[in-house]
Amino acid sequence: MMDVCLWWRQPSRMVDNRRTKMSPNFRWLLSVLTLLHLIMQINSQKRGVLRDLKCTTNNLQVWDCAWKAPLGASHGTVNEVCIEDRFHSCHRLEKTNIKIPALSPGDHEVTINYLHGFESSPSKFILNEKNVSLIPDPPEILNLSADFPTSTLHLKWNDKGSAFPPHSDAVWEIKVLRKPSMELVKLMSFNTTLSGKDIVHHWNWTSDLPLECATHYVGIRRYIDCHHFSGRKEWSDWSLLKNISWTPNSETKAFPQDKVILVGSNITFCCVSQTKVLSGQIGKTFCPLIHLHGESVAIHIQNISVSENSGTNVVFTTEDNVYGTVVFAGYPPDVPQKLNCETHDLKEIICSWNPGKPTGLVGPRNTNYTLFESFSGKYVIFERFETLTNESYQLLFQMLPNQEIHNFTLTGRNPLGQAESTILVNITERVSPRTPTSLKVKDINSTVVTLSWHLPGNFAKINLLCQIEIYKDNSKQELRNVAIKGVEDSSYIVAVDKLNPYTIYTFRIRCSTETFWKWSKWSNEKQHLTVEAIPSKAPDTWREWSSDGKNLIIFWKPLPISEANGKILSYNVSCSSHEETQSLSEILDPQHKAEIQLDKNDYIISVVAKNSVGSSPPSKIASMEIPNDDLKVEQAVGTGKRILLTWHHDPNMTCDYVIKWCNSSRSEPCLMDWKKVPSNSTETVIESDQFQPGVRYNFFLYGCRNQGYQLLRSIIGYIEELAPIVAPNFTVEDTSADSILVKWEDIPVEELRGFLRGYLFYFQKGERDMPKMRSLESGHSDIKIKNITDISQKTLRIADLQGKTSYHLVLRAYTDGGLGPEKSMFVVTKENSVGLIIAILIPVAVAVMVGVVTSVLCYRKREWIKETFYPDIPNPENCKALQFQKSICEGSNALKTLEMNPCTPNNVEVLESRSIVPKIEDTEIISPVAECPEESEADPENHVVVSYCPPIIEEELANPAADEAGGTSQVVYIDIQSMYQPQAKPEEEADIEPVVVAAVAGYKPQMRLPINSAVEETAAEDDTDKTAGYRPQVNVNTWNLVSPDSPRSTDSNSEVVSFGSPCSINSRQFLIPPKDEDSPKSSGGGWSFTNFFQNKPND
Amino acid sequence: MYPLKDSPLCLLSLLLPPLSPAAPISPSEPISQAYSLALYMQKNTSTLLQTYLQYQGSPFSDPGFSAPELQLSSLPPAAVSFKIWHAMDDAERLNRVQEAFLALTQHLQLVGDDQSDLNPGSPILLTQLGAARLRAQGLMGNMAAIMTALGLPIPPEEDTLGLVPFGASTFERKCRGYIVTREYGHWTDRAVRDLALLKAKYPA
Repeated sequence: MMDVCLWWRQPSRMVDNRRTKMSPNFRWLLSVLTLLHLIMQINSQKRGVLRDLKCTTNNLQVWDCAWKAPLGASHGTVNEVCIEDRFHSCHRLEKTNIKIPALSPGDHEVTINYLHGFESSPSKFILNEKNVSLIPDPPEILNLSADFPTSTLHLKWNDKGSAFPPHSDAVWEIKVLRKPSMELVKLMSFNTTLSGKDIVHHWNWTSDLPLECATHYVGIRRYIDCHHFSGRKEWSDWSLLKNISWTPNSETKAFPQDKVILVGSNITFCCVSQTKVLSGQIGKTFCPLIHLHGESVAIHIQNISVSENSGTNVVFTTEDNVYGTVVFAGYPPDVPQKLNCETHDLKEIICSWNPGKPTGLVGPRNTNYTLFESFSGKYVIFERFETLTNESYQLLFQMLPNQEIHNFTLTGRNPLGQAESTILVNITERVSPRTPTSLKVKDINSTVVTLSWHLPGNFAKINLLCQIEIYKDNSKQELRNVAIKGVEDSSYIVAVDKLNPYTIYTFRIRCSTETFWKWSKWSNEKQHLTVEAIPSKAPDTWREWSSDGKNLIIFWKPLPISEANGKILSYNVSCSSHEETQSLSEILDPQHKAEIQLDKNDYIISVVAKNSVGSSPPSKIASMEIPNDDLKVEQAVGTGKRILLTWHHDPNMTCDYVIKWCNSSRSEPCLMDWKKVPSNSTETVIESDQFQPGVRYNFFLYGCRNQGYQLLRSIIGYIEELAPIVAPNFTVEDTSADSILVKWEDIPVEELRGFLRGYLFYFQKGERDMPKMRSLESGHSDIKIKNITDISQKTLRIADLQGKTSYHLVLRAYTDGGLGPEKSMFVVTKENSVGLIIAILIPVAVAVMVGVVTSVLCYRKREWIKETFYPDIPNPENCKALQFQKSICEGSNALKTLEMNPCTPNNVEVLESRSIVPKIEDTEIISPVAECPEESEADPENHVVVSYCPPIIEEELANPAADEAGGTSQVVYIDIQSMYQPQAKPEEEADIEPVVVAAVAGYKPQMRLPINSAVEETAAEDDTDKTAGYRPQVNVNTWNLVSPDSPRSTDSNSEVVSFGSPCSINSRQFLIPPKDEDSPKSSGGGWSFTNFFQNKPND
Repeated sequence: MYPLKDSPLCLLSLLLPPLSPAAPISPSEPISQAYSLALYMQKNTSTLLQTYLQYQGSPFSDPGFSAPELQLSSLPPAAVSFKIWHAMDDAERLNRVQEAFLALTQHLQLVGDDQSDLNPGSPILLTQLGAARLRAQGLMGNMAAIMTALGLPIPPEEDTLGLVPFGASTFERKCRGYIVTREYGHWTDRAVRDLALLKAKYPA
């Protein structure tokens, strides 16, 4: 029998572990089947035999043995049980089980003897501990509670460990069932070790479904594995089930409420409702409803995404209401990054960090940080509701005195987790001092100052390293480092030396510590002027004699600020000879020259500069120059803004060399500036802002010997050569039939603008009206060029010219800077007189010869001639000429052989001379071209008809300005003498009209209206003139006014004036009496607005 | 959106009730002032509601969101049948509005606190809620001035919220805020209507 049992037990042991996964129902079924099987076996045996003694224990102290009564044995049958133990005890009892104290190990014989009703057949069993099963009592659940917001069940039970030997292993199995179907939602086991005492155990379990939405049941059983017990060990029964259900206490019917979960996790929401739930949604997404009991439903969300600030809404809609809850999906805090701790003042530690990846949680769910210092055990907490973006977080930690090493742990926590980072710092090596304040500067002397500043902080135990920035105008800033012993909240002071006197310095300072971590910010700048010192050098001095040679003018240059060492107040000038020392009065600063009257003895002049502290060393210069006979004037040309001068080294010159220069056009004494160069140099570059290109400068090189100067070289030079700005003024000296002699003048130095290198002379056949010589340089075949490089040459004869031909002459000067402007002139060569004479004489001679021959012949043949042509008695009968028919003779013109045509006289002009010319004007056009001003003014009574124009020399004046404009104005000179005389007209008369006259070269009505009051004054006289009818056109006044010779009109009218053109005054005279009178103003002619009013009756 | 953010504050200081009701003054002036303020408030109520919903997430922020079935027991609803409203006398009408805005003032403060937890980084919403609360207080002051002018007793200020709302869930807070901002609009509409009636009754 036992074997059977054991056989059953054995496999069941083997699957012990697996059994945890088996359903309890299934095991129960197995047990029932086993029992049935055993009963059948027993029934098959003979009746009346005791069967199936089975012993169990639940505490190892007492064994509970039970057996099956023999068949037929009724209830109440007395039996006797004897156990062969130490005392061989026997018990009479009516039951089929007995509780006996645990027997010692080993086999014990148990005899069960039924006393009544049966033949006494004692059954004997061998009882061993190995056959006893240990089945503990089911555990008792002390408490089952629920934390609804977190959907967590808390289970509490007592292990009753005191009932078992210590160190027994206990295995606990807990099951969670869920209504309504009582499905098993959780079965889990875990091991404990019993301690021999009663211990209360806890177990927490979080449900995926909120606990509010379904009733949950919890049961527990146990399995004790006692090592001293050799019998079988079996699971206890399940404890009584305990349940957790939710009693609605508010309107809230959707669960879980306000849960914070990790992004990406799964979550189930449920809704407890009495009415039908229509839909469930998370955010905008509707989810399929999972039905729980009643009308309650759930929705399952997988892989939830991060929520917005106010959380993700989950809403269930019922027929009559809306239920909702909010879930916050986010991340646990990221590990704080870039945790860094430093101090500004060694009193307070500032730890800053970057929160890292955002958690997506704000408000009360936002990460809070705890900064914990492990040595001191102190901590500070950082809590903020809103999330800072792109901003580092920081916390202040009050330092403890005497603690330098700090071990900080920064922990960030939110509902989803925590993260931490640590930093171990020696805070004295992490000092970033605050900005130094109250920077002050005090003078010690002219080159040393002290700087003081305030730096808050407890630096008593460390050394500071500070950096002073010294900035001087126009120079690079200088940095000086100073190490200072630190003090607590105090001022620091350092001396700054090696400064320049009387100089403005700007100081600022920043500090760090000796164990450098960071510089502080720069302090505010402080400007300071160092005090003055005596001038360190003598002023640079020069002297010039005045033009009359009586006074010596002493010049000196102001000392540069680096040598003046202060504000120069005055200069002391003194002169000394062998006999005496004469001191002049002080000369105040802005003046840098002094004039003293000196004789020509040798004096030494000394100049001393003074500031408020003292005087400079004197600078000395001899008044007289050391003469130098061997002096040449040289030329030099500079490059752009400067000029390089070189000389040979002269060992006699011991002090220095001085180059002085001035503008050559200035009068003596001329001094623009001077420059001193050391005696060992042989060249220098003179540079000055005053230099201008194209200006000639004189440079003088002096050598110094015993404070006396000797002129070594005299140089004229240009910084840059330019082309001349004027053309040479040239005239034609002489003109013959085949040559022209040209003479020109020098160009003034100011207009030359460079060293003159020569002249270019161009000549070409050409009339004045011909186009200009456009391409003088291009080597046009007609143009002949002469390059005159001998600049002393001032005349040029051009030979091999043709007679009576117009030539265009052009002359230009040039320097190395280029060609100057051109001046041109037109010259006509004279006629060849010999040829003319020959041309006249030969025809005359021929004519005379012919006459003489004819006379001789006629004389010789006079008889024959007489007979032939003049017979002695002419016979009228024979004369055909006298046989004319009378009628024909009278009526036919054709026979008129000798008709005298009237001859028209040419150029007969008659002018009457009158003292008062009748003032008659007509409306004919008066053209200035048609007027002969010479006649009117010079000699009205001798009217000269200019019918011949002698050779004219037209000179084309070169006008640079006009050249640029592309044209030249030409002035025409007339080669006949006294063709005109200058106008003696009053200026104001000429002023009135010439512009009008000049502008109107064409048609002009002769009749003009008076436009000024002069008309009224002469009104009476005018009345008589009106009746005069015909008026000769000649009006002297008119001519005067429009004369090209009038001073104002000469230039502008010269183009249109033509001399020698016939003056027609005898045509087209209107006989209508003019309405206006001769007023000088009215005779100008030309269109003007006044002409429109001429027909007004009252005018 | 908020060009007049500061102006209601100025308006409030002008429209606060006179402290010395010794000399009875004409009711037309406080009525007119209250009416102007109510009209001004009316322009901003829908903005407030929309801003509020926009920050609460879907489905609150969905276009066309409306949940008229949601009500707060601590806040009297503005909806009233026309018959009942019309039958009210001036005193009752003013009392109802006064009570409602008293409750609204407290509720707006509560909603502001809720939102500073939920949307701490949204100054726009918090500013609008604060402004609405100040305007509601201003209107209350105006109402009190009208009542004084009409010789009506001013109802005592009561704590309408009590202890109830502090344990509310986030969803309840969101809904509560929705109801408060919605009812703020409705009550403002009703106040405009009431004041228009009074204005007609007491012309200047």
